[in-house]
Amino acid sequence: MSENIKIVKNATCTFCGCVCDDMELTVDLDKKQIIKAKNACVLGRAWFAEHTIQEGPVALIDGKESKLEDAIEEAAQTLTKAKFPITYGLSDTTCEAQRQAVAITDFIRGTIDTTTSVCHGPSGLAFQGVGESTMTLGEVKNRADFVMYWGGNPAESHPRHFTRYSVTPKGMFTPNGKKDRTVVLVDVRRTASTPVADIFLQVKPGKDFELAWAMRALVKGHTVDASIEEETGISLEVLTDLVERMKNCNYGVLFMGMGLTMTRGRHFNSGAIMALATDLNEFTHFVAKPVRGHGNVTGADNVVSWQTGYPFGVNFSKGYPRFNPGEFTTVDTLSRGDADAALIIASDPAANFPQAAINHLHKIPVVSFDTKETATSQLAHVAFRTSTYGINTGGTAYRMDDVPITLRPAFESPFPSDEEILTALKKRVHELVIAKSRSQGAGTAKVAAPIR
Amino acid sequence: MTISLSLHTQPDVPLEAELISPDKLAGLTTAEIEKQTVEHGNQKTTIADFFTVAGEKSDSLVLEGDLSKIKHIGSGMSFGKININGDVGAHLGTAMSGGEIVVEGNVGDWLAPEMLAGRVEVKGNAGHMVGSAYRGSPAGILGGEIIIHGNARNEVGHAMRNGMIVIGGDSGDFTGVNMLAGTIIVLGELGIRTGAGLRRGSVVCMKNSKLLPTFSYSCVYQPTYLRLYLLYLQSLGLGIREEQIMGHYERWCGDIIEFNRGEILLYHE
Repeated sequence: MSENIKIVKNATCTFCGCVCDDMELTVDLDKKQIIKAKNACVLGRAWFAEHTIQEGPVALIDGKESKLEDAIEEAAQTLTKAKFPITYGLSDTTCEAQRQAVAITDFIRGTIDTTTSVCHGPSGLAFQGVGESTMTLGEVKNRADFVMYWGGNPAESHPRHFTRYSVTPKGMFTPNGKKDRTVVLVDVRRTASTPVADIFLQVKPGKDFELAWAMRALVKGHTVDASIEEETGISLEVLTDLVERMKNCNYGVLFMGMGLTMTRGRHFNSGAIMALATDLNEFTHFVAKPVRGHGNVTGADNVVSWQTGYPFGVNFSKGYPRFNPGEFTTVDTLSRGDADAALIIASDPAANFPQAAINHLHKIPVVSFDTKETATSQLAHVAFRTSTYGINTGGTAYRMDDVPITLRPAFESPFPSDEEILTALKKRVHELVIAKSRSQGAGTAKVAAPIR
Repeated sequence: MTISLSLHTQPDVPLEAELISPDKLAGLTTAEIEKQTVEHGNQKTTIADFFTVAGEKSDSLVLEGDLSKIKHIGSGMSFGKININGDVGAHLGTAMSGGEIVVEGNVGDWLAPEMLAGRVEVKGNAGHMVGSAYRGSPAGILGGEIIIHGNARNEVGHAMRNGMIVIGGDSGDFTGVNMLAGTIIVLGELGIRTGAGLRRGSVVCMKNSKLLPTFSYSCVYQPTYLRLYLLYLQSLGLGIREEQIMGHYERWCGDIIEFNRGEILLYHE
């Protein structure tokens, strides 16, 4: 170990949506490496340990090393020439960078979408349809005496969710921690989270909606047929008991996982849970909240909503924002072959999208922002290498309960931040857009490619 | 006399053409129609860039070609007729308040969302969200009729408030979800979770279907009004059998979570 050691107190881990801000990082400034992350969970420790500085060019054009200025120019030219460009990603960068990305998309009259659309986007849709009774995680810690997780495995996906916010912490009205809480888990299989639960409901796969709907009927005092057991795998007796517990708690919370949003029924599944929380407010206080995945995906929703009025899947081609998931969300836009350029920030769709969408990404010019070489940066026309948020760059990230948290970087990176490059790109795009509108006068455009 | 638009150049990104509607084109000459603006992605182009125009001053439009990348045709139309000889893209006949659209091929998602009145007939299949509400909107179609000879996908008649939607083939999941009133008739199979959140209105299906636990069985009966509907559909060439017209139907009422005033009628063999 070198002598040049720095301790960063109250640092923030931006790996998952918990955005824990009580890290104590021991940083070796010579090696540019975090050697110890006190308080971090297993995922957080890996996040801090793995983000070291890897030598490499700051920018590549078609795989060839290039100067940053040239790459920004090339990216700006590519994006302003496009007729239906799409901006995607944004969940693993700061709110400040996200804001620049929205501005760029507005200037180029493109479509902006975040990883929300492949994660809790359906919950966002449901929220608009049925409303949301919400809270912060601090309230959960201090008040909740009934906690239900539906369709998620936080023990492995958000390891500190139980201990920091929702199950074991001792709060103002929950002085005995877990003893004061009833913890319920609904999932299709037993997972690492199951032992934490007081009640585990193993629902048949794809029957979440039916189960939630039957619970809503019971909450409203209607009878439900005993055949519900055959349908969902949960007996009417268990359901009736559960609903009584829910109605009689002081403060109940329903956490939704992606087992609801990414299975058949999608936004109706999360909508059913939110509606269940609304129904339960006839009897006691109940809230519902999606358990968000990426570090700043909640920030992406907040920034895009604040700037455009809508959380994801927003199109600017008419010059004003329009929202239509299914039409303007990235997987759909790429799979149908609509987009003719893509700006991908802090995300790797080329590794995890459906094949049709990846195939289309290979056909169009892509501008990518990544901290490491990824499948997306390999296929990109212009690829920028940036510093890691929360480790090398400061800024703001939102926790899954929409609480903004300041980032405290550990050490400097030789690479610029997403925000710095995006700000420069925005400036150049703006110049090009103005020049284009002046030269075109009333605006005539090229004729499209001839019919094939 | 009709106005004929035939596609000569396939757009390479989606083309938004609200303008292709009798309301906008009926009074124009051929030259004027050619100059009308359509939006090719974020760029303004003219109809002539994509279509060969023939005819003028007519409230009857005939469109030829594969229009599956062209959206918003017939948006807000209130009179006249559009015949489409081919496939067509999303948002066909959005919020139309009159007139008729006949499509020989398939249509994309969001067919006639939030329509007020008028008629749409599709000979092929339809996408998701037929006659639905837009996201965040409280009500879907307020009237009119949508006839699809083929299949439709999810959320047929989402939050519809009045009017009639007929699916000749199968429909997807959540048919008639959050429906406020109106009639949906499906001649093929229903998907799952039909009528979730149904307040009033009827969903009729000629095949048996597993319903949500919040629907309760009422009776088997012969609904008189259904004969009128089915005779009309038979006259349109949809495959209605005689025994279905005079047949018995299981009546399921729900959704109990809402008013319990809606009904799902399943043909009783």
